[in-house]
Amino acid sequence: MVILASAVALIVLTVAFTFLIRDTDIPAVAPVSPTHHLEERRAAIYENLRDLQFEYRVGKLSDDDYQQTKLGLQKELAGVLAEMDRMKSTAPARVAQDVVEEPVVPTCPNCGSKFPASMKFCGECGKAMA
Amino acid sequence: MENIGALAILLAFCFAIYALLGSVIGKLTQRPFLIQSGQRAVYTVWLLVTVGAGVLIYSIMQGDYRLAYVWETSNKTMPIQYKFAAWWGGQAGSLLFWSWLLATYSAVVTFQNRRKFREMMPYVIGVMMSVQVFFLILNAFVASPFRLLVAGKGVVDLGDGQGLNPLLQYWTMVIHPPMLYLGYVGFAVPFAFAMGSLITKQPGEEWIKTTRRWTLVTWLFQSCGIVLGSAWAYAVLGWGGYWAWDPVENASLLPWITGTAFLHSVMMQEKKGMMKVWNMVLVSSTFFLCIFGTFLTRSGIVQSVHAFASSPIGQYFVWFLAIGISATVYLLLTRLEFLKSEAQLESVLSRESSFMFNNLVLLASCFSVLWGTLFPVITEFFMNEKISVDKPFFDRVNIPIALFLLLLTGIGPLIAWRRSSFDSLKRAFRWPTILGVSTAVVLMALGMRHVYALISFALCAFVTTTIATEFWKGASAIAAKSGQNLIAAMIELTHRNTRRYGGYLVHVGIVIMFIGYTGAAFNQSKTVELAQGESTQLGPYTIKVVGYEEGEESNQYRWDRVIVDLSKNGEHLSIEKPERRFFIASQTPTTDVALRRRLNEDVYINFAGTGAGNNVVMQTYIFPLVSWIWIGFLVVLFGTLVCLVPDKKKLVFPRMEVVETGVGHVKPAKV
Repeated sequence: MVILASAVALIVLTVAFTFLIRDTDIPAVAPVSPTHHLEERRAAIYENLRDLQFEYRVGKLSDDDYQQTKLGLQKELAGVLAEMDRMKSTAPARVAQDVVEEPVVPTCPNCGSKFPASMKFCGECGKAMA
Repeated sequence: MENIGALAILLAFCFAIYALLGSVIGKLTQRPFLIQSGQRAVYTVWLLVTVGAGVLIYSIMQGDYRLAYVWETSNKTMPIQYKFAAWWGGQAGSLLFWSWLLATYSAVVTFQNRRKFREMMPYVIGVMMSVQVFFLILNAFVASPFRLLVAGKGVVDLGDGQGLNPLLQYWTMVIHPPMLYLGYVGFAVPFAFAMGSLITKQPGEEWIKTTRRWTLVTWLFQSCGIVLGSAWAYAVLGWGGYWAWDPVENASLLPWITGTAFLHSVMMQEKKGMMKVWNMVLVSSTFFLCIFGTFLTRSGIVQSVHAFASSPIGQYFVWFLAIGISATVYLLLTRLEFLKSEAQLESVLSRESSFMFNNLVLLASCFSVLWGTLFPVITEFFMNEKISVDKPFFDRVNIPIALFLLLLTGIGPLIAWRRSSFDSLKRAFRWPTILGVSTAVVLMALGMRHVYALISFALCAFVTTTIATEFWKGASAIAAKSGQNLIAAMIELTHRNTRRYGGYLVHVGIVIMFIGYTGAAFNQSKTVELAQGESTQLGPYTIKVVGYEEGEESNQYRWDRVIVDLSKNGEHLSIEKPERRFFIASQTPTTDVALRRRLNEDVYINFAGTGAGNNVVMQTYIFPLVSWIWIGFLVVLFGTLVCLVPDKKKLVFPRMEVVETGVGHVKPAKV
């Protein structure tokens, strides 16, 4: 009897959990910018440039290698930035809709601290927030 | 109770099908409720498989020997930790363990990404649930752990079970299978994301970024599993080997090799957007090799010392592999355009080409191991005769490959990304080469003549020097700029790029392990029959029999042991007690070797049996440098953990804007 009751409880519980979904249960998915992959690429190129600079500083690269590689990376970066500009200009409405939906968080322009409400002066560094 | 377990598994199977269909159909028809319900079903599957596993563990702990699985894998005298290990100690239980791990991973992945990847996630869930459905088919219909041994015969108590294979009753064996399984199953996650990305043609490398840590952790689990298995074989099996190229060992190594190749080549995609197809192939191969490994282990298709029962389960795996591989190949072929490289190889003398070499060599090794493992199956199919290839074949092929990989480990860090001029390479290679060659010369002068050993030690010195130079140069640059001392600068350096410097630490660990493996070139062994009071000489060691004892351990096993006096060059070192055990319930003999571990060499004594009269037969060995393998692995573990630490916050790079796209000039924008 106990086994039967447990079996019924297990079925009812799992079916209810899986199928009873309210509107509020559907999570809001963060919007993704259409240029997101290009932003990622841009970040990777910046990272490569930083790396290159460091490797040059530690003497792993000759001047010529450094200059050539740097130029190559800058060309790549230029391509990515141009593509981003092109995408933003061709689909401005979509970009604005997708990207600028996030609420604006008051942020100190000096130290970057974030606050829940807007303030005249930064609570961290004391500089003017406006 | 077993009815609840069986019902839970059956329900889990139904919900897994629902999760798969709900997610995919929900996405195709744009119904958020269906997608959400599919996601919920993933959690439900986890809950149900957990209930099923819980019932099995409870039955094992309670000693419910009516269940065939419990009777086969446990008995009353087994300590509690081995009773728990009985969960994965047999066929049906280990498949349930696979299912449970996959359900857990799926639930975690679903929860972590519940607000992300609107496009991709339903397919990720779809892929993971396809695998889950397959394993639940096995759990529910093919190899159920809830099968009753005495169903309908009116028997309520069977007294006692057979017990877990005594060879598996060893501490590393409690951890080794879960570790390997965590690794095997874990690769389902990057594979599912790769397929999700492929199906939805996601631009960018999001799937790689998301699964980066998963892949690394999974790889670490696999590594732990393999090394723990080696440690177990070394300490328990009585012949002193840690790797025998047994098919089941090979099965665990294959996905590890492709996983290692993937960890390297994925950097090319992240850095330069190259090798996208190759990375898809590698992540898929790794996943399917994990399934293939489980198939080899569980089907009994090849002869193995891991004497798992031969069963009809193999055909299910063959079908799953055939369908899975076909679907993956189809997806890849139809999306080749989307996987086009964003950059080309700029120079042969570049880090990229060293990674490509590394991948090719790893692939060659993987292919040779796969070929050797499947050779008996292939010959049986074509010639009606099983021909096995043995350790010498694997050694002959893989030792040179491994040494070449070690060389690449040293070369990689010396070459810059994109291009390196011959002059800068000459400068970078000077000291590592001098130290490598000097090591070989000194060892030759000391009398070493073993060619592979000389090459190996020289390469170890070469790689160590390159890595040390990397740390030293980087730390010096930071120290010069910030005024920190060298140690603090080294920590700072590692923290700035944990993946790179953590990776170097992993390479140091690999070098240390290679030193340990190279020690095998100088193994010594001798099998002797001795009477009490007699002794034998092995290298500088004198092994003298001084006594014999026998007894019984808490009704679990009977034992007899030899008391041995071990001395070196006439100086007494220790009393050793190699032992034989006879497990009563399973009627199985095992040995408990005497092992004196030291950094330079291990002395290993196995009590093999008794000879004429009261003589004892002993196998004695000297294994030089074996401890370095285990120490090296600890360094690998540490290095991998360092890789998992997030990088220190990057310095802000000046914002750039395009000035002249045609020639590709960029300049810092006004900030």
